[in-house]
Amino acid sequence: MDGPLPLALLVGSLLFAAVVLVYVVLDRTPDWGLLGLAALLEAATLVLLVVAAVQVGDVDLSGGAVVTLFGYLVAGLVLLPLGFVWSLAERSRGATAVLLVAGLAQAFVVVRVMQVWPS
Amino acid sequence: MSARTSGRTSTSTGLGRVLVAVYGVFALAATARSLVQLLTKAGEAPLAYSLSAVAGLVYVAATLGLAEVGPSPRRTAWAAVAFELAGVLTVGTLTVLDPELFPDQTVWSAYGAGYGWLPLVLPFAGIAWLVHTRTHSPRT
Repeated sequence: MDGPLPLALLVGSLLFAAVVLVYVVLDRTPDWGLLGLAALLEAATLVLLVVAAVQVGDVDLSGGAVVTLFGYLVAGLVLLPLGFVWSLAERSRGATAVLLVAGLAQAFVVVRVMQVWPS
Repeated sequence: MSARTSGRTSTSTGLGRVLVAVYGVFALAATARSLVQLLTKAGEAPLAYSLSAVAGLVYVAATLGLAEVGPSPRRTAWAAVAFELAGVLTVGTLTVLDPELFPDQTVWSAYGAGYGWLPLVLPFAGIAWLVHTRTHSPRT
């Protein structure tokens, strides 16, 4: 967890949200590029979850903090897929903007994970 | 352009889709958070944590109502956003007047200032959207 992965995931999530914002402004519907970027974020979140699970025994975290940490990590796994399911069911600006919400929520989750993890 | 269900404009299309997404994030966050609090440290601030759980359920109801899931979703959504508005105004006012009232933060403390004021903005957005999507043609 001390490596660059959490920060990279945070930057990636914000980048994803920024790209979606451009799509919303241009009224473009989500395409494979957007889906690919989301898949990368999803894979990185999964790696972060595994790394956290492996390293959690070595750090000083209370029971409540551990539940919080993995709660956020699991939320990070479901946010983007749920966002895509809800977004792709319709083709409109509003539907594309759903992915913006998902990207920002993903960034928030990563920030909270970084805060909970003792540095 | 606008999809209609039984003579009314749908609450889950267009802008409504974003609103449902934001409500969904709050439903997930508030419910999960209060569950963790109630399961790990219920004794510390039972009132605050129970209130958080109620807020979580209200967000779940608003999400489902606006997403048009379940029976009479529009009524569900109205009830949820009205409760939400009353909740955030009441709890917000109480916590501003007496910060000691709740030992721990709830989503509605200080009008949701800890959550970027979104808990205060959301019920107004929800009500505005429900009014906006009301039937424009006479009901049959």
